[in-house]
Amino acid sequence: MDQIENQNPDQQSIPVFQNDPFMVLILGLVTCGLYLIYWNIKAAQVMNAVSNREVISQPIAIFAGCCLPVNLYFYYLAGKECLPEIYKRTGEPQKDQGTLLLVLGFFVPMVSAMIVQGDINKLYK
Amino acid sequence: MISTNYISKQTYYNLLGIAGAIITLAVPYYLHTLHTGVEMIGKQSLCPFKMLTGFPCPGCGITKSLMFLFEGEWQESVKQHLFGPFVVLFCFLVIIFLGIEILTGKKLLRSWIYSVKLAYVLGTILCIYHIVRLIVFISSNNFSQIFKESIWM
Repeated sequence: MDQIENQNPDQQSIPVFQNDPFMVLILGLVTCGLYLIYWNIKAAQVMNAVSNREVISQPIAIFAGCCLPVNLYFYYLAGKECLPEIYKRTGEPQKDQGTLLLVLGFFVPMVSAMIVQGDINKLYK
Repeated sequence: MISTNYISKQTYYNLLGIAGAIITLAVPYYLHTLHTGVEMIGKQSLCPFKMLTGFPCPGCGITKSLMFLFEGEWQESVKQHLFGPFVVLFCFLVIIFLGIEILTGKKLLRSWIYSVKLAYVLGTILCIYHIVRLIVFISSNNFSQIFKESIWM
């Protein structure tokens, strides 16, 4: 479930949004997509904080929950701009997830959310 | 090798935003030239969530809403999705303001675009609307009718 406290001084500016990726899928299905709107907002906050700039605006995060082209834009930005910053912080090798997230976001947005959540979780290890 | 770095990253993302807004408007418009909105009602939805579960997602009905809007059927458009007309407005604003940003290099409406408060207000309205829609959907359809909306039947 979501954890709301920060873990160490290095991550004080990064909001903690730690979830089991499988729970993202389950909650997305059970709430008929409502949870994904909340997830988009929280994930955008974390990714903006990690990138130290506003990469994904909040209204974009909201509209991503109800409009497919905006959803694709959200995942493209996440994969191209935000995940590389997360990999930089976690010391992982850089990889471009933009295309993968874009394609998955088109067919199964919840799986894209699971991938992004998995990478976000690594920030708090 | 041909360089593609002749436009800034900001301009590139602004162009992507404009492209997204145009696609959002163009797809329903194209469908509107092929079918009327009424013809589309009852057809298999292409929403991955509805195809999987039979239940509507928060965005289900926006394409039909836009199609009805292009036909001038305002009431039916709002009936299909409350946010349909707002999506059209949002798309036109995106095209206009991002276009101006590209041309002038100035950043416009950033405090609105990045407003967390505005995001939560929009999100809350959308969530309430979706919950009401789900209640109406469940109460007006039985299990087999809901299951029929998916790709499994």
